[in-house]
Amino acid sequence: MSYEDWYRQDRLPHIFCAGCGNGTIINCTLAAIEQMDWKKEDTVFVSGIGCSSRAPGYILTDSLHTTHGRAIAFATGVKMANPDLHVVVFTGDGDMAAIGGNHFIHACRRNIDLTVICMNNQIYGMTGGQGSPTTPKGCLSSTTPFGCAETPFDLCELATAAGANYVSRWTSYHVKELEKAVKVGLETPGFSFIEALVQCPTAFGRRNKFRQVADHVEYLRSHSLLKAKRDRMLENGEHIPEDMYIVGEITRRKRPAMGVKP
Amino acid sequence: MKLAIDETRCKGCNLCTKVCPYKIFSEGKRLNRKGIALPELDRPERCANCRLQKLYGRQLCGVCQLTCPDQAIHWIDEEPYELHKVAIEY
Repeated sequence: MSYEDWYRQDRLPHIFCAGCGNGTIINCTLAAIEQMDWKKEDTVFVSGIGCSSRAPGYILTDSLHTTHGRAIAFATGVKMANPDLHVVVFTGDGDMAAIGGNHFIHACRRNIDLTVICMNNQIYGMTGGQGSPTTPKGCLSSTTPFGCAETPFDLCELATAAGANYVSRWTSYHVKELEKAVKVGLETPGFSFIEALVQCPTAFGRRNKFRQVADHVEYLRSHSLLKAKRDRMLENGEHIPEDMYIVGEITRRKRPAMGVKP
Repeated sequence: MKLAIDETRCKGCNLCTKVCPYKIFSEGKRLNRKGIALPELDRPERCANCRLQKLYGRQLCGVCQLTCPDQAIHWIDEEPYELHKVAIEY
């Protein structure tokens, strides 16, 4: 058995653009789920609206493709109705951070036993490249033609502050690390949040000098800073560049969780 | 085992050329029927998974398969090499 068996082979190839990182994240998630020995009947994938949210359509299990931003709300309902199910939520930054931000922080507060994988491409890719709450400062999008002037959300810090049990961030370059992080997230009782930074050559890269997919992946690789190294640099009083993404396991703790069978 | 690229799925993003530690994939030049330049394989028998998967009994490396956003890279079983007669002309 390999994770390829979880794909709906009749639906592939998927509709994501050439070079889109979402397929990589689905691969990593399914590879982690494959190691968990879960049955396909006991696993549910939930998603909202957006590029990333098309992912459950290509997976062989039961899935919910729900209204915009409400993926976590629907997933909470699924988990509460039948706590035996393993619920995994695929969501994007526009879906989860923008319109579904409230549902997200309340799911973190309740610490309900879900695994949320956020494919953060830093833009609204499907609707034509509008700026999202995670678009970095100075980046161009169709609604910020002179550069984004707002401070982006740090989703991992938000989840940590709201009370999630497991929080980590990786990029689409770090496939093996992401696979391990998703596996830890699936094993952790309580809310686990994994943010995966992905490249978007069509909407983000085209406007921000990353026309080649490889350039964007290389940028993600060179601008990711391990959390352990960040802490070491802070100890030594070194300067940390502002455009670095902190990757690694941000939080792991044991707050009382909801929806876990004793 | 033999490395293979599924021609119906590959969209030609060339991400595999960046991640392979052996640099087996290289950017393709020739377009196929869909207008996509498939990556070319440079001596694919060097791939660690091709050589050693049977010996170890598990997946090795596999970064290209995980990274491929279009699920186009896979390994296919090969027929074991059979001895055959070669006529030598003097």
